[in-house]
Amino acid sequence: MSEATEWDAVVVGAGAGGAAAAYGLCRRGLSVLLLDAGPRFDPSTDYPLTDADADTRIFPEKPGSTGKVSFAPGQALGDEPLLVSGSRGLGPVAPGGVRLMDRYHHVRGIGGTTLHFTGEAHRFHPDAMKMKTHFGVAADWPLDYAALEPYYVEAEELIGVAGPEQQGARWRSRKFPLPPHPLSYASQTLGRGAKAIGLDWQANSRAALSRPWNGRLPCNYCGGCNKGCPRGDKGSADVTFVAAAVATGRCTVRPDSPVVRIEAGSDDRVKAVLVGRPDGSLERVAGRQFVLACGAIETPRLLLASDGLANESREVGRNFMDTLFIAVGALHPEAQHGRRGLPSDAISWTYNAPDAIPGVVGGCRFYNACGEIELGGLAAFALRAIPGWGRAHAQSVRQLWGHALHVGAIGERLPNPDSFVDLDPAARDRFGMPLARIASALAESDVARLRFMAKTSHALLAASGAQRIYESYSSWDWFAPTHVFGTCRMGEDPAGSVVDAFGRSHRWRNLWIADASVFPSAGGGEAPSLTIQALALRTAERIRSA
Amino acid sequence: MDRRQLTALLGYLSFGGLTAFWRVVKGFAQPLETDAHVERAVGAIAEVMFPGDGLPGARELGLHRQVLAHADVQPMLASGLAFLDRYAASAGAADFAALDEARRLAALDAAFASGADGIQSFVMALRLHLGTAYYSSPAIKSAFAYTGPLQPDGFADFRDRPA
Repeated sequence: MSEATEWDAVVVGAGAGGAAAAYGLCRRGLSVLLLDAGPRFDPSTDYPLTDADADTRIFPEKPGSTGKVSFAPGQALGDEPLLVSGSRGLGPVAPGGVRLMDRYHHVRGIGGTTLHFTGEAHRFHPDAMKMKTHFGVAADWPLDYAALEPYYVEAEELIGVAGPEQQGARWRSRKFPLPPHPLSYASQTLGRGAKAIGLDWQANSRAALSRPWNGRLPCNYCGGCNKGCPRGDKGSADVTFVAAAVATGRCTVRPDSPVVRIEAGSDDRVKAVLVGRPDGSLERVAGRQFVLACGAIETPRLLLASDGLANESREVGRNFMDTLFIAVGALHPEAQHGRRGLPSDAISWTYNAPDAIPGVVGGCRFYNACGEIELGGLAAFALRAIPGWGRAHAQSVRQLWGHALHVGAIGERLPNPDSFVDLDPAARDRFGMPLARIASALAESDVARLRFMAKTSHALLAASGAQRIYESYSSWDWFAPTHVFGTCRMGEDPAGSVVDAFGRSHRWRNLWIADASVFPSAGGGEAPSLTIQALALRTAERIRSA
Repeated sequence: MDRRQLTALLGYLSFGGLTAFWRVVKGFAQPLETDAHVERAVGAIAEVMFPGDGLPGARELGLHRQVLAHADVQPMLASGLAFLDRYAASAGAADFAALDEARRLAALDAAFASGADGIQSFVMALRLHLGTAYYSSPAIKSAFAYTGPLQPDGFADFRDRPA
């Protein structure tokens, strides 16, 4: 085992949180080693959206860019006709009566999961940070919206977030740096439906440039955000926070460097991390401060695999919350060609507050979901939307191509004792580190929220003129989340939380966490990356003064 | 094909992006030596499943040979084609390829409705792979609006009623 230079800070994970933490630390004069288990992606060569088959491309796989996890058995399903995942053309996703534990969507690499994210840039609803006090569920955040607001501003400025003047309860001390994107034709159609049923429908705040910003080109509305953005207008962490950290001259970035263990000392301080090398050997990397930002699956895995480090409260891995999601597609009588434009360009916050949905605690939001499910291209449309085969099928495809509208909804997912991350007792990676095992079970309140989201999505599509539903997908029967939270929750009480309000371990004085594992609650459907980044910037400031 | 494989074939979506659909479709290419009967039969399936109807059909484009290379199709070929040939025999034909278009379609419908082990999966797998190859073919895509590469131009008319 070799030993590298000692750094002021070693940041583990170069996604939304790690990149922001690295930038915040470098900006304050600290030297940072930014490690990631995955590779570096080159937007100009790895995202070839100029190719003729661009619409059938997904975000590229590179060696090491997907981590392995295992799953506990899926939940037995009841009878929820509105929540069954499937399409007319391809049938059900999970026909076996058991929730399909399919995958946890993420990217390992410099930029992390922001490389394939849609790029929504949301602030949390202030009331969603105090769920225990106001509603008796989940746990309170040990800070409030006002404490986070300056860091939201800092993150938005660096990214170049484009958004509207106002977002209701999310008060702002400064305008979004860029004006909102215009709504696509399909979003305008949905907007008329939203108005008819009393839903607000406004420009979404997006980490995609509506004007040139810091030397980056503006978006040209190709819609391919989830495939990787070759222009660099999408505000993924590699082209924003990592680039800014490197520009300080104090950040060293090391891809393909999985951390397999944290080495603790006897003085309540972490000494080093052990980094796996391609040849299977380990390298010991020492530092003064250590920031974990591996996400809500891999951060608890690393702590648990390091002899339960920072688990004095026994909360590491508990309180797991995944994405409560539904998307519905329907055919409109007129062509929409919703694949044109920025995905998720419009949003409704009407039911986002924790008490906004009648009869159930926890909010949700609705949006134009073309980005998720319209952009499969002609082949995906032909096979999903139109059942069967033969000449009648061919004629229907010709007649209906471009007529799809999609509405998505994401809602609050509350923690429960049956949803957690632990270590797989048998499966290990090439360095002998146990894999993370994910257990997820929806409670009745989650299902009630999903029912409301489904009914409202159907109503919105119908009011927009799209009556013929041909597909629907939900997390009721299909576990395939991107947004995951809660497994190292922050709190004031060391007995009930892993880290404090600044992301610092209650015991280990130089160990910090800067990812969504610290979220005590998941919000009413907000995309988490901006909040992760704001928290990470706040953590970085605290580290500097520690 | 086990349940998980079938599920992957049927499901394609993930929150946050397209994934399993294209991963499944693109993930299985392996060379396969086929006899003339198999190629003729799968060609006949391609001909009726995706006939073009004014555009070139899947068989005309040679896509049936491409589909035979998919590893998930290969184990199902023998039983699937045997089912279709038995149907043809019951209709007095030498084999499936000898049927006319209407009776080929009826045979495929019968296979899709069959409760026999793996037969419905066979039809769905061929539909998935043939349909994907067909509607991804440049010759077909060019007949549909807004199917060109996403970059470098994007969609400048994204706010407007489609042309």
